Amino acid sequence: MINGTVVTLSRIQFASTALYHFLFVPLTLGLSFLLAAIETVYVTTGKSIYKDMARFWGKLLMINFALGVATGLTMEFQFGTNWSFYSGFVGDIFGAPLAIEGLMAFFMESTFIGLMVFGWERLSRGQHLAVTWLVAFGSNLSALWILVANSFMQNPRGAAFDPLTMRMQLTSFQQLIFNPDAQSKFVHTSVAGYVTAAIFVAGVSAYYMLRNRHVDLAKRSFRMAALFGVLATIAVITLGDALGFVDARVQPTKLAAMEAVWQSEPAPMPFNLIAFPSQAKRENLGAVRVPYLLSLLVTHSLSGTVPGADALERRAVQQIEGGIPAVQALKVLARDPGNAAALAEFNAHRKDLGYGFLVQRYAPDLNDVTPAQMERAARDIMPPVAAVFWSFRVMVALGLLMLAYFVIAVLYTLRNKIQRKTWLLKMGVWMIPVPFIANEAGWLVAELGRQPWTVFDVLPTWMSASTHSVAYMAFSLIGFLVLYTAFIAVEMYLMVRAIKLGPAVHGDSGGASAQPRPSLAPRVAPAAPYGGKLEG
Amino acid sequence: MRTFFYFVLFMVIAVGVIFLAAVLGARGAWYFAWLVGTAMIVLISAAGGALLDTQEEHAAERAAAERERS
Repeated sequence: MINGTVVTLSRIQFASTALYHFLFVPLTLGLSFLLAAIETVYVTTGKSIYKDMARFWGKLLMINFALGVATGLTMEFQFGTNWSFYSGFVGDIFGAPLAIEGLMAFFMESTFIGLMVFGWERLSRGQHLAVTWLVAFGSNLSALWILVANSFMQNPRGAAFDPLTMRMQLTSFQQLIFNPDAQSKFVHTSVAGYVTAAIFVAGVSAYYMLRNRHVDLAKRSFRMAALFGVLATIAVITLGDALGFVDARVQPTKLAAMEAVWQSEPAPMPFNLIAFPSQAKRENLGAVRVPYLLSLLVTHSLSGTVPGADALERRAVQQIEGGIPAVQALKVLARDPGNAAALAEFNAHRKDLGYGFLVQRYAPDLNDVTPAQMERAARDIMPPVAAVFWSFRVMVALGLLMLAYFVIAVLYTLRNKIQRKTWLLKMGVWMIPVPFIANEAGWLVAELGRQPWTVFDVLPTWMSASTHSVAYMAFSLIGFLVLYTAFIAVEMYLMVRAIKLGPAVHGDSGGASAQPRPSLAPRVAPAAPYGGKLEG
Repeated sequence: MRTFFYFVLFMVIAVGVIFLAAVLGARGAWYFAWLVGTAMIVLISAAGGALLDTQEEHAAERAAAERERS
């Protein structure tokens, strides 16, 4: 049996690398499409300020992209190094989308991002615009494939366990990519990236406006980011609801943890606005409840219910009873693949195989499993409720905060009064970390909520890890944390430096101390600063 | 020739969109919503940028007219 400390360290290592990686990814996903919007205006109007904007935001995208790729590479290797049993068990399914993701990210996206950054003087305006759109689609489509793979872990569809090869095998590629979890998760994640980019661009633009630097560029960037952000935030909330609706059917334990539902209740169920869940006591302390709201939110009806941990654990005991003969039959088939009786026994109980693995943690030989061991394994099906519950609330609260910010920002920017609202501009600068925190909280909900499984209902986490030593795992974990913290420091240094320097070809305008560059003087003339000025 | 090229290009895009709508609409409605929604978000954002130029041009014209009157 794999050492429990090794499993825990493997989990911490993967979680930390994934959380670090996802500090970079959403900005790339969103900023690439915001750049496409800016460059589309440049190509259609011919006004050179939009070229300055595209080049400036493109430089920040490039910094972020480089570090995002560097942190993403190690994650893919970790599946093999730290989760070798998992990789062997589901590699036939998991490998294909992962490989396509690699091709999308490293071939399509990287090739076109190079052309985008270095091709300004070499490509025509139309060609460059096409390249920018391809970068945007490439980065988001590479995210699609990794999310298809992740969704298989949340809701395993399109695959079946083969008792002769002792691993999962792909049965339907269509089911894999059109998995409802993959669809809603991809769109939710992608548009969360748009929100991140919109807040980032609005925040940096607000910083320039507050300092009266690059005002023409900042005003236009802020306007575009605010419109981009308000629509994306509406979309991210809509898709969050869709994802919750899917989870209610395929991951009831995650939903029970998100809402801290320990005991099943009749409809309409109240919503725990605030609570302090106790995993040991199976109850909430200090709960503030809103009547009817949970049924409405989760099932979209007043008559719908959410099964509580009590009902789910009772059902898990029955599934464990069904899973034990499946694992025992599998052991026979491992020794004697032609044993027809064992194969028939396995097929009769195959749907509960994962629950047989789950109880094996407490009863390794499975010949004499006690009711206490079964109950203990059944209690394991609930994820860490407090962490999932609060991560979910942090994500939702920050999402609503960003929606409110964008609505106000759109109102003022459409009236062209944003420069006078210094409180809104200052708030914009302070808002920059908000989407990053919300994104991390979202992933904590998704992945902590999947526990105790690596592949939901199929493969428990405790048996998925590699058989490394504790010392090896501790050493590599510290190495990753130091390396990734250095990456974050480098990213922040480069970003802050690029933002302070400002756009290379765009002069300051309006600042008392900032003198416009001579060659750009016509651009900062008070009347119609960019009107009708076409690129030569 | 150029017009014909653009005609062919836009026809290919139109057929592609119809195909995507038919396939994704039935099997992956959220994927299709992402395609349509992303295009909408980008274009509305772009229109907002272009609108700012128009607003500033009008403001400059009004300011110039007021200067002339005074």
